[in-house]
Amino acid sequence: MRPSSNGSPSPVTDPIRLLAADAAALLLLGGIAAFVPHRVTGFATAGLSGLAALLCLPPLFPSVAASRLELPVGPPGLTLHLALDPLSALFLLVVSFCGTAVAAFAAAHGAGAGEAGAATARHARSIPCCLAALSLVLLASDPVTLAIGLILLGAAMTRLDDAVNPLATLLSAFMLLFAVCLLTPHGFAPRFDAVRAAPIEAGRATAGAALAVAGGLSLVQGSAQSRCWAIEALTAGAIIPCAIYLMMRCVLDLPGATMQGWWGFILILAGGAASVTRGWQAARHIDLSGSAARLARRQAGLAVTGLGLTLIGQSADLPDAASLGLAATLLLMVSSATAGTLTVLAAHALGAGADTNRLARLGGLARTMPLASASLVAGLLALSALPPGSGFAALWLLFHSILLAPRTGGLIAQLPLALAAAALALSASLATAASVRLIGIVVLSRPRSARGSAALDVGRGRRLILLALGGTSMLVGALPGLPLKGLADPTVRALTGTGLEGRAGWATLSASTASPGYSAMPVLALLALTIGAAALIVRRLRKGTRVSGVWNDGLAPTQGLPFGDPAAQSVGAGFLPAALSARPPAASLTDMGGFVGRAPAVDLGHALPPRARPIRSGVNDAGPLGVWLRRLALRWWYPFKRLPSPVVGLWAILLAFGTLLLVVAFNDGGGALE
Amino acid sequence: MSVIVAVLAQILHMALVVLAAPVVEGAVNWLEARLAGRLGPPLTQPCRDLIRLSRKTAVLPESASRVLLFAPVVSLGATLAAAALVPSFTLGTALAPLADGLVVASLLSIGRAAAVLGALDTGSALQGVAAQGTTALSVLSEPALLLFVFSLAVMADSFNLDLIIGQQHEGTLLPAAASALALTSLLALAFADTGDASAGLDPDLSGIDLAVVRVTAWLRRLVWIDLIGGLFLPVGIAGADGGLREWGTGVASWVIKLAAAIIGLCVVRTVLGRVGRPAMPDLFGIAALLALLATIMALTHAGTV
Repeated sequence: MRPSSNGSPSPVTDPIRLLAADAAALLLLGGIAAFVPHRVTGFATAGLSGLAALLCLPPLFPSVAASRLELPVGPPGLTLHLALDPLSALFLLVVSFCGTAVAAFAAAHGAGAGEAGAATARHARSIPCCLAALSLVLLASDPVTLAIGLILLGAAMTRLDDAVNPLATLLSAFMLLFAVCLLTPHGFAPRFDAVRAAPIEAGRATAGAALAVAGGLSLVQGSAQSRCWAIEALTAGAIIPCAIYLMMRCVLDLPGATMQGWWGFILILAGGAASVTRGWQAARHIDLSGSAARLARRQAGLAVTGLGLTLIGQSADLPDAASLGLAATLLLMVSSATAGTLTVLAAHALGAGADTNRLARLGGLARTMPLASASLVAGLLALSALPPGSGFAALWLLFHSILLAPRTGGLIAQLPLALAAAALALSASLATAASVRLIGIVVLSRPRSARGSAALDVGRGRRLILLALGGTSMLVGALPGLPLKGLADPTVRALTGTGLEGRAGWATLSASTASPGYSAMPVLALLALTIGAAALIVRRLRKGTRVSGVWNDGLAPTQGLPFGDPAAQSVGAGFLPAALSARPPAASLTDMGGFVGRAPAVDLGHALPPRARPIRSGVNDAGPLGVWLRRLALRWWYPFKRLPSPVVGLWAILLAFGTLLLVVAFNDGGGALE
Repeated sequence: MSVIVAVLAQILHMALVVLAAPVVEGAVNWLEARLAGRLGPPLTQPCRDLIRLSRKTAVLPESASRVLLFAPVVSLGATLAAAALVPSFTLGTALAPLADGLVVASLLSIGRAAAVLGALDTGSALQGVAAQGTTALSVLSEPALLLFVFSLAVMADSFNLDLIIGQQHEGTLLPAAASALALTSLLALAFADTGDASAGLDPDLSGIDLAVVRVTAWLRRLVWIDLIGGLFLPVGIAGADGGLREWGTGVASWVIKLAAAIIGLCVVRTVLGRVGRPAMPDLFGIAALLALLATIMALTHAGTV
């Protein structure tokens, strides 16, 4: 970028001007899409969005200052204020990258006929408008421009899919408008730079933050009912990062040091609850695309948790804790946007190939759609919490952020941190369970329909897009420090005052100098070594393999079902702990998507034996020593045998203990337990 | 510890772990039978079973893909990687910097996930139901394990197992009450996991593949024993700068801990019986509650220091 004679970039090469022009071009493209072939529109959208992503790179360099632009657009007195700083540049890069992938994926589909053709036309018209609106939101530096961008986004999303709730986006626009106005002190123009410069009252900061968080949630919820793959992909890759950006701007950046620390506790609890809820929904949803979308949305809850940890560290004047929390949030956004988009697009490709999204009718697609299946596996690995995926790296950072949080305030202040850790752990296990469920049912096993057995893999264009997204996702997982050190460091430095030196190398993450950090490559190497050694030994010792029919406990295979008995394969129910009760999941065999018709509901609860007691006495033929030990143990255990479950007893003890501690803590102002 | 010595220590640790796994299985079976009033199988029976299985031709269902062939290997590799990271007789091995508690917990999850995927790949009903049940149990057991690791990390201010064990060895892992709760949580987890948590996943496996599955289960049990012994009974464990004499002491104390674990496990199984599937959610729930309590106590105590 060549600076002009007075030191600022020349107007022709100023990134913010180019980005504004890019957004205008996208909007124009959406307007004329009805008169242009869909493929041309789609690839042009992808090209413009890709250009926007490239233009976001220079502002992320450490020495580059923020730039501003004022556009006198519309009626007199209305000026759009735009600004490009490291925070908006990073999120615009992520949004543009994922938007490029979605636009190109839609364009690579082809025109089609009938309903498919109408869907393609809608995608061609609406996706450029969505991306233009998102650019406007991320570049906005005043609440009016922000609101205009959000309203435009709502309109474009509604145009893309009727199931989108336009009121939610409208509500989020007004909430964020009022939030920024609340954050603006009296006598100052409602612009971001003016808000930062002047101090604001704590009450207004709190109210503004509350509205901003509500506005961000409303923005994400607007598309919750949509079944359109493009909406789900844009939600995963663009709308969720945009919502997190808005929360970050209004909670961390604009209020500055005025923001009170207790907000952080609310955010970590809310984020933990949201991530657990979405993970649970993902592990029980009956659709492939629905499960994938909920897994992607789960990341938003984790990002809110990271935001809360950043706020707690900032308010306690712990810049290390704040920078680590913010690094976790940014890494989550980068990795989950990429992986979420990849997962949703791969799920759509698999569903389209098999002509169904119902898990009960999917199976064995690894044989017929190997690339789409591999893309789904790569995306799910990144969204779950297994190393060396990027999801594990983000989880690692979040746990360390909790570790670095201040330990003052007694039980009242530490209880939310413990609950946040529990929520992170539960959310991680739910994500792993949901991922294993989808891979096992959709990708593995055998096909359950004629269409599934004859599915064709994605075409060349879509193949490239999936490979690009998968490669990026795996790169972020293998080198988690790369996006942090290369892209996020200026943002972290600007918001917390501390950079990521010593915390993020190109391939390593470290929380402190006292203990070793996490590096994905050595873990990957160790896994490769152990698995490779095991494979070599097994191969050496194997005495050949014989193929036989499926052993079905001696039962004869069902006649008239050329693809085997579809009821023999899992339909996706039973992967959650609720299924471990005596009552079987009645939907498991009836949920066949109309394949075998709807069976009458049967209540089997009363016909089954009561739930077995958790601890039972030992074997009847134990030796003398065993008998003596058993009698001794039963004498101790007898009082507990009357409880329906030992867990009930422990819950009662925990609740009583916890109530007592809380009463003491409240009476003593939280200091009695220090 | 120099690099060469650290690598030697690591190789010795892996050799001990791999050799001890079938011996522990044989000892457990023998002692359990003795406590039940039976003669019991010979101690070398697991090794004989492995040799017998490796001589058989594997039979695979026609509906399965290569995933069924590779799943046991991946499961074994992940469990072996976890076993490599958990110290046994000495600290400061070559892989000590990687011995992060979260990594170890996730490697055990990878091992279980691979076994589940192999069962789902067969497309048969019973294995599918077993896979569903195993996954449902893992939704309870994995958070408990992660919370347990987190509670120890709060006490030690680090997730690295070597550092945690070192602090426990010096007696600086406080508070002791939280440490006791964490130990109980780990015992509950280990007792439930060494039951039949993954039962029913391998009926379609035979020959060398079934042998690999059995070795994986033995190694997994050994990882639990090493975690309990290392994190809560680090008596005799050699330090990072220990010599041959300390290594000898470390190996001897490790063998004693193994023997104590075998006796303890057999006594508990004789008194309480094996943990059936209906009881496992309760045990995992208890472990999670105890780990959460330990976390709260550790977090609250840390503010008073």
